[in-house]
Amino acid sequence: MGAFLLRRLALAVFVVFVVTLLVAWAIRLSGDPAMMLADGAGSITEQDLRNIRAALGLDRPFTAQYLGFIGGMLRGDMGHSFMGGTPVARMVAQALPLTLLLAFLSLGVSLLASIPLGVQAAVHRGGWADQTIRIISLIGLSFPNFWLAIMMVLVFSIALGWLPPSGAGSLSALVMPVLTMATILTATNVRLVRTAMLETLSAQYITVARSKGLAETVVLYRHALRNCAIPLITYIGLQFGGLIGGVVVVERVFNWPGMGSLAFDAVAARDYPVLQAVVTVLAAMIVAVNLLVDIVYGLVDPRVRTE
Amino acid sequence: MHMRTRLLAAAVAIAPAFVPPAQAAGTLTVAQSQDPNNWDPIATFLIAWGSVASNMFDGLVLRDEALNLKPGLATSWEVLDQGMRLRFKLRQGVTFHNGEPFNAEAVKFTMARLLGPEGAKGPQQSNYTSIGSVDVIDPYTVDIVLKRPDPVMLTKLAGYGAMMVPPKYITEKGSAEFGIHPVGTGPFKVTDYQNKVSLTLAPNPAHWDGAPKLDKVIYRFIVEPNTQVAELQSGGVDIASNVPVALASTIANAPTLSLISITGPTVTVLRFNTTHGPTMDARVRKAMIMAVDRDTIVKQILQGHAKPVTSFQSTLSFGFDPAQKPVPFDPVAAKKLLAEVKLPANTTVSLDFPSNDTTFREVAQAVAGYLTAVGLKAKITPHEMNVFTNDIIPNGKTGEMFRMGWGGWTFDYDNTAYLMYHSGEHWNPYDKDPALDAMLEGQRKIVDRGEREKALQAIAHFVADNALELPLYNMNTIYGVNKRVKGLVAPPDNRWRLTGVTVD
Repeated sequence: MGAFLLRRLALAVFVVFVVTLLVAWAIRLSGDPAMMLADGAGSITEQDLRNIRAALGLDRPFTAQYLGFIGGMLRGDMGHSFMGGTPVARMVAQALPLTLLLAFLSLGVSLLASIPLGVQAAVHRGGWADQTIRIISLIGLSFPNFWLAIMMVLVFSIALGWLPPSGAGSLSALVMPVLTMATILTATNVRLVRTAMLETLSAQYITVARSKGLAETVVLYRHALRNCAIPLITYIGLQFGGLIGGVVVVERVFNWPGMGSLAFDAVAARDYPVLQAVVTVLAAMIVAVNLLVDIVYGLVDPRVRTE
Repeated sequence: MHMRTRLLAAAVAIAPAFVPPAQAAGTLTVAQSQDPNNWDPIATFLIAWGSVASNMFDGLVLRDEALNLKPGLATSWEVLDQGMRLRFKLRQGVTFHNGEPFNAEAVKFTMARLLGPEGAKGPQQSNYTSIGSVDVIDPYTVDIVLKRPDPVMLTKLAGYGAMMVPPKYITEKGSAEFGIHPVGTGPFKVTDYQNKVSLTLAPNPAHWDGAPKLDKVIYRFIVEPNTQVAELQSGGVDIASNVPVALASTIANAPTLSLISITGPTVTVLRFNTTHGPTMDARVRKAMIMAVDRDTIVKQILQGHAKPVTSFQSTLSFGFDPAQKPVPFDPVAAKKLLAEVKLPANTTVSLDFPSNDTTFREVAQAVAGYLTAVGLKAKITPHEMNVFTNDIIPNGKTGEMFRMGWGGWTFDYDNTAYLMYHSGEHWNPYDKDPALDAMLEGQRKIVDRGEREKALQAIAHFVADNALELPLYNMNTIYGVNKRVKGLVAPPDNRWRLTGVTVD
């Protein structure tokens, strides 16, 4: 088990390292941050641009810039934003909790909805409830999340005036971003729960439980659902990357000041330190969740360890 | 992105304009497109900075809504030594928001900071390099001595980098702290700043120009223009500062909202590649200019929220010549001229532009249509914005024509003409003309305003005569405003002073 853990950990560190290298390299392929900073300036000269580049440390070779970034990250120093010189660590510390709040709350709401719906669909397989749930889930899968976000703004903010269309200042501002994300997630998760349930319900111990005369809810939620939990948890762990990706887009529409908004602005402004930090932090989180899933698998299923 | 913008635009347009009860009287909430991240006057050149920070800082001179210079922290000034020395009499009894006195030493500190190593880190310094020294004559008299003539210097002192900053505060706290907790002498002071979320201002009742009437101003940073409009419609903000053309009529028709559409600082033209391809020939360029009906583009696509231009400047610009006539729309003459040139069959012209500008995409399609109508094959080539401005244009990788939007807060034609047409300039990959260079350099040495205006007008005529660009339009700045806001005067340079504004 120790060797297995070490191997997985080394692989995870390697993946994060490759991600940092790719991001640092890719963002430098096009555009010039000095020019972005000087946007709108009256009489900017090449000398002025050189001064700005020197002040930002962009006159150094790529390897020096990259090693500076990696060294800083290892020391917990994410550098300063090109746009305004704000410490990147402070920006991430402000944005990351907001993104995680959105992601986990959406996931929670989605599970609350998809488990009972998925169970019902499985129990009444082929019936009208199953058909309806499957069709609605198919429609949900086909929505782009930004479209749903826009429709919600239209209905709940503009037509009804119930909820603020953007911002992160109040509890009510959380409702629409969470609902948008949760709807998209639920569409997938319902199908997942249904499939897992169907498989479990055909197992012999369910027949035993039923023949014991247990109430149907007890059979479903205590016996069957517990046994579906393992594939569900695994899948949700793997879904985490996609979840973060979805949050990025939804944040933009609702002007939610999280990691997605940071990344969006940083790409547009070629703000290297901010983008590098945001991508590294998110990549590290996704890799960590996957590592955790791997480890749990290894614990549960000894065959994986010798793989 | 594009699709999303369209959808929200359509969605908002068909929605009934329902606005919930207004918020607290006396509090103005403004949706601002961009957070400059740093409020230090020498750190940025963003219009987003100017439109907020003009409430926090004062310059020695200021500009009124008609863009005329007026006294600011200087009550009067004299131009001495043939324009090489500017003497300012300073306003007495002014203090910064932290209680520090404003005097000649503060002016000297501000300018030394701008021109020193701290200023070199930002884009502001370049505008003020004609300043040689700042001499303190007495505590309330100060001389700014130029090392080379700069007729625009007085105007520049009304803007951005020359905003007066507190010496003691910056020396003690450092520039980084000043950037997030700025202190000026302006009519409003900063009480709270949350990066990328909001900035809150409180009135400075002791301001020399009178106490502001508002109790509070909140700027909310909202990037998406459509989200700004949704906030305006639902009562979350009182002013949407970036309204897309597609949503202008929705706001105009809403009973509780009003639309302000005023001449903006940015002029859009199509510049030609004068060194390669078919547009090397001036006749081809002239034919292309005649082929495009700009009035229709402005009326149909931009719904009238723009003005056709004859040169690369707005009607408010110093150097604008009201007598200069536009090249008339004449496809027949264009065809005739093209026939004279005998271009090879299937000559294709490409129009390059930044892909994030959805309104301009429609304009580009229309232009391509007009060019096709006179027998040219036209295609449009979008580029990612940053790549377009930092690589495609400066390195001369454009097609036959490319979009350029320009215009500074100084509203002086020099600010555009020199950078666009002088050979070797960053934004000028193609044009090299010694005669034009001489005109551009010459006007910078003229001190007399009238003489200089004539020289600038001559440059505009030269550019038109040589068909160096296809002038398009001067885009309006469009604001959506809740009708509970009173006394709002929108300045053409986007630099708002909210002193006289009230909110019911």
